[in-house]
Amino acid sequence: MLTFTLRRLSLFIFTMLVLTLLSFSLSFLFPGDTVINHSGQINASAAELAHLNQVYQMDKSIFYQYGAYLTHILNGDFGQSMASQSPISNEIIKLLPATIELSLVALLIAMLVGIPLGFIAAIRHNKTSDNVILSLAMLGYSIPVFWLGLLAILVFSIGLGWLPSAGQISLLFEIEFVTGIQFFDILLSDSPYKWQAFRDASAHMILPACVIALAPATIFIRLSRASMIDVLAASYIRAARAKGLSFQQIIFRHAIRNALIQIIRHVGLQFANLVTIAMVTEVIFSWPGIGRWLIDSIYQRDYTAIQSGLLVLSCFIFIVHILTDFIYAALNPLARGNKHGS
Amino acid sequence: MAREKIYLEEVFPSPFMQLWGIFRKTPVAMIGFCCFIFLVLLAMFAPILAPYTAVDGNLDMILLPPAWHADGNVSYLLGTDELGRDMLSRLMYGTSLTFGLSFIVVIFSLVIGVVIGSLSALTRGIKSSFLNHFLDVVLSIPSLLLAIIIVAILGPGISNTVWAIAIVFIPQFIHITRYAVKEEFRKDYVLASRLDGASNFRILYYSVFPNIVERLMSQATLAQSAAILDIATLGFLGLGAQIPLPEWGAILANGLERFYIAPWTVYLPGLAILFAVVATNLVGEGIRHALKLRKEN
Repeated sequence: MLTFTLRRLSLFIFTMLVLTLLSFSLSFLFPGDTVINHSGQINASAAELAHLNQVYQMDKSIFYQYGAYLTHILNGDFGQSMASQSPISNEIIKLLPATIELSLVALLIAMLVGIPLGFIAAIRHNKTSDNVILSLAMLGYSIPVFWLGLLAILVFSIGLGWLPSAGQISLLFEIEFVTGIQFFDILLSDSPYKWQAFRDASAHMILPACVIALAPATIFIRLSRASMIDVLAASYIRAARAKGLSFQQIIFRHAIRNALIQIIRHVGLQFANLVTIAMVTEVIFSWPGIGRWLIDSIYQRDYTAIQSGLLVLSCFIFIVHILTDFIYAALNPLARGNKHGS
Repeated sequence: MAREKIYLEEVFPSPFMQLWGIFRKTPVAMIGFCCFIFLVLLAMFAPILAPYTAVDGNLDMILLPPAWHADGNVSYLLGTDELGRDMLSRLMYGTSLTFGLSFIVVIFSLVIGVVIGSLSALTRGIKSSFLNHFLDVVLSIPSLLLAIIIVAILGPGISNTVWAIAIVFIPQFIHITRYAVKEEFRKDYVLASRLDGASNFRILYYSVFPNIVERLMSQATLAQSAAILDIATLGFLGLGAQIPLPEWGAILANGLERFYIAPWTVYLPGLAILFAVVATNLVGEGIRHALKLRKEN
């Protein structure tokens, strides 16, 4: 496990280096002056510009420039937003938790719906219910997410009036910002309307989370179906059957556990996909998250915000990726010995 | 008595023909394939087939509902938008943008990805490890996010979108080719031809490629369905196709303001995207199913 941890750690450091290198080079690729793209200070006076040039070591070679940029990032200084002229790190701290909350809830929904359906399809392999589940999965995988979001708003918010269509919580509730994750903040606050606020926040969450969850859920259906079919064909299942265990015992005690391990391995990869979907969904549901902020900053040509947003979002995805790798290795001793490039 | 064949010959169909034989026996896959061909033809001949052009507006016929509606007009089969442009013609022209461009993008990145991927599969040691880690990084960034960044650098527009999506897909094809080639190189038939003295490139070209081409095709269909969705999503966000172009995502975004009074301007382009993606996925599913059956035989 130690070598595994060291390997993952080296991969993590390497990845972070490549990602910062990418966002560093974006400053050169974007239109405009490099140091202004780094810092986001578009209205800097000549003296401030000279100071910035010195801070980012623009007079020295590109290695020093990268070093200076990296130091800034490590100190949590992403520069200023070109559009609002406020520090980007503050905005990210405000926005990222909302995205984390939304994407984790969506991941949970996708797994809770997708994995059992996949297991059912695998157990009833090549029967009608298997085919129905597979066809639904393919349809769900093919629906463009922005269209689905609009239809969901049309049906559930406008047509039936069950759920709110935009935002994170009703403006009536004043919740103090502590962690940024709305549910925790509500529980931590001492408002007398805690439970109403909690219900309101959940009602706001349901529609976007379900829209995001649909496509990943269909992928989980396929993954869990494939891994369950593999497990059910394994010889230890036949041994368990020969021992005289009932069908339910075989499925719940032996098959599900082993099938789940294979699925956990893919959660990290699916998460990147889910965050992409979440970005578009945030735009449609006006969710105050980092995806909507990033797309807005493209409209505003806010290059500093774009490169920091890229860095933070892919860093977040990669941390989730590494975490699932760890969980997988902790659950499955076979994976720890795997040496090169996998 | 005349004999047509003097020698009793057993015909072994090539792996590709075997695959086709299985593929055509699956009705659902064949339906998907026919829809796919239909879309390809539509993408090519839309200017000939469409009743009107994509930008011609008839200001007397604004926001006409589809023909089956009581207020509809049969000469505008799917209704018109807010400038009196025929929805059917716009959707037909849009096929060549959303579907046709995604097809071209996938073929372009497939070729480049396969070349780089198969060359990199032959390398070992630090070069290979570096590439592997680098690919891990690129693949961990969501494809749409990367495409958005590239569009932000290049500026919005349909041609920049196409470049962005091509760049995003190349690493995926490198990854899958590399993996597939490495797997094949471990097998015995490669060893056999190596013992015959074949060079690496010869093995790659004559022995390995025929065996991985179907896997690449199945990956290509997956990539194409993702490419259709990405082009449409970027169009919807206003970063892809710009205003007069009848790209499906852009038509949908355009209809958004009149969602309540003219819902057909939103649900028709959405249905078109759904149809194209489902057709592509059915073909991919058929290929994967046929591959599995061929392996079992």
